[in-house]
Amino acid sequence: MQEHIQLNQKEINDISLSPILETPKWWLPAVLITFGFIVTGLAAFFYMVYHGLGVTGLNRPVFWGFFIVNFVFWIGISHAGIMISAILRLTQAEWRRPITRAAEVLTVFSLMAALHTPLFHVGRPWRTYWVFPYDFSRGVWPNVRSPFVWDPSAVGTYLIASTLFVIICLLPDLAIIRDRTTGLRSKIYGILCLGWRGTPRQWKMQTIVGILLSALVLPVFVSVHSIVSWDFAVIAGVEGWHSTIFAPYFIIGAIHSGVSAVATFMVVMMWVWKGNDKILRPDHLDAIGRLLIIVATTWFLFLFLEVAFALFTLERPEIALRELQFFKWPFSGLFILFLLTSYFIPVPMWMFKNVRRSLPLMFISTILVNVGMWLERFLIIVPSLSRKTPFAFDWGSYTPSIVEILIVTETFAFVIFGLLLFSKFFPLIPLFDIKEGMVFRDEIKIGRRTVPASIRE
Amino acid sequence: MNPHVITAKSTLDKKSKINNTLLERHQRNGNYFWRIISLLAVFFILGIIGFVMKLNSGFNDKVIWGYYAAMFAFILTTAQAAPMVAIAPRLAKAHWRRPISRTAEIWSIVGLFNLILFIPILWVLPSLEDRRRSLWFWDAAPGFESVPVFSPHIWTTLALCSLVFIGIMLLWLSALPDLALIRDKGTGWQQKVAKKLSKNWIGTSKQWHWLYHRLGILGALYFAMMVFVHFLISIDFLLVLVPGWIDALLPITHAANALQAGVATMMLTMFCLRKFGGYKDYIGYDQVWGLGKLLFALSLLWFWFWFSSFNVFWYGKKPNELSVIDLLTTGPYLIIFIGVFLLNFVFPLFMMIWNPIRRSFWGPPLIAVGVIIGTFLDRIRLYVAAYSVPGIGDPNVSKHALPTHSLPTHLPEISDVFIMLGYISGSILVFMLATKIIPVINIWEQREVVMYEIHKKFHRTEVKILGKPD
Amino acid sequence: MANPSWGMVIDNDKCTGCNACVIACQSENNIPINEEDHFTQRRPIQWIRIERYWEGEFPNVKARFIPVLCQHCADAPCEPVCPVYATYHNDQGLNVQVYNRCIGTRFCANGCPYQVRHFNFWEPEWPDSLENQLNPDVTVRTRGIMEKCTFCVQRIQRTKRESEKNNTSIKDGDRQLNPACVNGCATDALVFGDFNNPESKVSKMKKKELGHGGHGDHSDHDGHEEHDEKRGYHLLEEYGTHPSVVYLKKVDYESKTVEKH
Repeated sequence: MQEHIQLNQKEINDISLSPILETPKWWLPAVLITFGFIVTGLAAFFYMVYHGLGVTGLNRPVFWGFFIVNFVFWIGISHAGIMISAILRLTQAEWRRPITRAAEVLTVFSLMAALHTPLFHVGRPWRTYWVFPYDFSRGVWPNVRSPFVWDPSAVGTYLIASTLFVIICLLPDLAIIRDRTTGLRSKIYGILCLGWRGTPRQWKMQTIVGILLSALVLPVFVSVHSIVSWDFAVIAGVEGWHSTIFAPYFIIGAIHSGVSAVATFMVVMMWVWKGNDKILRPDHLDAIGRLLIIVATTWFLFLFLEVAFALFTLERPEIALRELQFFKWPFSGLFILFLLTSYFIPVPMWMFKNVRRSLPLMFISTILVNVGMWLERFLIIVPSLSRKTPFAFDWGSYTPSIVEILIVTETFAFVIFGLLLFSKFFPLIPLFDIKEGMVFRDEIKIGRRTVPASIRE
Repeated sequence: MNPHVITAKSTLDKKSKINNTLLERHQRNGNYFWRIISLLAVFFILGIIGFVMKLNSGFNDKVIWGYYAAMFAFILTTAQAAPMVAIAPRLAKAHWRRPISRTAEIWSIVGLFNLILFIPILWVLPSLEDRRRSLWFWDAAPGFESVPVFSPHIWTTLALCSLVFIGIMLLWLSALPDLALIRDKGTGWQQKVAKKLSKNWIGTSKQWHWLYHRLGILGALYFAMMVFVHFLISIDFLLVLVPGWIDALLPITHAANALQAGVATMMLTMFCLRKFGGYKDYIGYDQVWGLGKLLFALSLLWFWFWFSSFNVFWYGKKPNELSVIDLLTTGPYLIIFIGVFLLNFVFPLFMMIWNPIRRSFWGPPLIAVGVIIGTFLDRIRLYVAAYSVPGIGDPNVSKHALPTHSLPTHLPEISDVFIMLGYISGSILVFMLATKIIPVINIWEQREVVMYEIHKKFHRTEVKILGKPD
Repeated sequence: MANPSWGMVIDNDKCTGCNACVIACQSENNIPINEEDHFTQRRPIQWIRIERYWEGEFPNVKARFIPVLCQHCADAPCEPVCPVYATYHNDQGLNVQVYNRCIGTRFCANGCPYQVRHFNFWEPEWPDSLENQLNPDVTVRTRGIMEKCTFCVQRIQRTKRESEKNNTSIKDGDRQLNPACVNGCATDALVFGDFNNPESKVSKMKKKELGHGGHGDHSDHDGHEEHDEKRGYHLLEEYGTHPSVVYLKKVDYESKTVEKH
């Protein structure tokens, strides 16, 4: 089934390096458009800083809104890279090879997007650095009991680790670009590739560092989203948040949305860069689709448990909350949309092999998943706050303002902008990884069948 | 023509050698086999005595059945989870599973034993009558009147029965080709049994396709059913017994602990088979390595779940949640609590990241013993504590919060010790007897790997190439 | 002498819902005027608020009032979640908010089950006529930070300073000490004082109405309440916050039932 197109090394080089050595026509307009969105978003942000958070739709009791939803969403997307790269690398799944780089880069940029969202969220962004344990003159350490102190350290560690991961995996490819360019560019790539010559010792180190980083980044990966979930779950005062299941529920949801985002990105890569469809095959989409069925179903199980245990005691505040979340317009509509888009449309679609191997259908279904997962975070955060206390007097609601929407758009534009820039200067397809896979790949003939095989189990 | 394709050499010689040696080994009686069996039987009889002693006090007071329930849960989390070691790697097409997949599946027959012993605690399980909280949402709420008050009994029994049934079907299916082999080449009573069990398996390609397909489906079903049973058991036997214990993660933690303990059980079984069973040529580093990695990963997973629950309870500081933490972690339970943490997480973590131990034959099984003991202690901590809470019907206990005064802790009586001994030895006894009927090493899977394995020169070294069929 | 533990007893039976406490608080603590816009945006800043609930069907409708202010909980859920220690518990039983440290994450506001924490969504503004009315003892809060009831800490501190200067002890029920809302209450529904002083009025009321000196933990949430003399309770006890404010139940003489929120 794994019908690979047998490419020789030169063809792989040509395909993967073409976006760098020759700029596609659409690249500059795309960059400019996303940059325009970024500028608009930042303008909205400064408008908000100047006037105060009153320009958002936030109120009492819904103190957290679009920004936190968006923060959780991007943290979720960032789990894609490590899921694909680290877990699949450690379990030696061969199909991961062509998409590892894309997944890691998506991780890095979505983490950056997530990390600057709290700046939008807080009341005094110019003081946000106070959550870091830096300033001894102030005489106050950050409060280590607060999940908002765990957050920056976990997310920061994750960003550093995944950036390192990308750089380590880039080194051999940078050396190739160094050898294929001339003049200043060659010099710059020469500096960036840290003197990579491809000696056996360098290869060995690169492999070991790769495996070590994947193993070490895994606990970070788990801790990041657990901590994000504890931003909510530790609050006993909010009925909808105080659930022990939140940490694993958020993680599996993050993997669901992250892997879907990688699939979306893969399809886009196959569409917009010519030649990529020779390396990224429907096989890979197929494998991702099958992985997604398992992930999505596990996620759905956690969702079920979360709701079941919330209703377990049939307490009145909890019932009031769930009534709002499931049955009151507009949340009811969003809830149905969320169920459909995150599970009931995509998963039955992925059951069919034809769908898993079709580019447009995979594109649509994975985009749907992320629409659903964005809504999931919204439905966790906003209705829970609207029905926060047993005091019916203080129930509230929330409508986002145009400023919030513009700022949220900025983060999406930022990620796309980052990916576009990256694709111009670095190969999005890991050359060395694919070549390594080719060397290890073998086939065994048993009777009349040919079975794919690989060196190392 | 693709230069990479290699044709497998004739492997017929090797295959028949595997057939003969494994068959011969299966039919031979070990020196100690019957002696161990009789020792276990003695312990099992002790267990029956303990059970009879308990019966004197009857089923009215659920408190005294805490240890029995803990033992039931212990076997559920170890023996009945062990088949996952065969199922998961088989679905992932990992070759290292081959020598141990059968051993893992034979553990599923212990489920039958556990199912029989489940019957007495059905009487202790409170029904939904006294407005008891339950997964089935019985609260005399409108729309739920039709829920029978014995829903927990019905559903738990049904789920447990299906789990056992699926497990035994899985074992039988996977054993079919081997039973046919015994039918054709074996001797004695084993051949007669095999003749009955093997039906008309002759190994046509149609039959093989059917077998692979069914094995996949049954494996997935077993996993799903196992998770479901753990959900039901942890809710009906733990959560609803303790007011204020609303832990949505506990069913998952329970199931994760089962996976961890199941792997540990297999690790230990495998070690015994290699050391005392004479299967040294078949069980090697690959298996210890593969299982060791699994055990390591699952220990981390268990810790993460455990900590997630604990953290949310501890941080939230709601009185009813703190009282649950109090119930489960004070008095003698504190020592167990710390012990479980050390045995199920700290030791596996810090020993297994040490490569010399991970590569040794004694290291991972040693840790597995720790994990099994840890799981055992954890079951006692949870179940005995939950069973010692007075029933919901008790006027002293409100629906949402535990009484603030500390509840009595129950140390095991002599009958409890007998029951624990008898329960465990009974399970091992059933397992060992089953290995006499069904070969403990999977002969056909072992034979199959010969086809997929090829040695090839690669630059200056010789490497092993393993085929992975789709 | 032991540190004081400031607290309050609120008698729901005496509350008429007149909102005088709200106004008194507003002027004492430099809280910007809540205009109609603030209410439609659901962003009024009221350190103390009167919650009004309607009970029964028309025409037999009864209005129930409950004044809610910061409960200065002993185990305040807002405290551990603040990343910058902007809110912490001081040695006088007060839950204090340090405006300068606050960066406005609004985490504390989510943690608070009583909804008494307020965020400055806008820069505070007063009409020109009120510019000279501002209290010089109280900081004007900038936009982007949290604020909440302080039990008029400026009054407590001033009284303490003066009593130290004059070598006198702090008098219980001193109008110089009492928070503005207590002074403003026409029916004496609000009583302020030191729970660590067994002679203070609040301590006596608490002892009489709550039955024991410690923080109450009733487990009778199921609705079967004991109809005895004791009317004391804490707001939302099931969250385990151990508040410093004791509420006394409303006694409904017509139906002879005791109302409890």
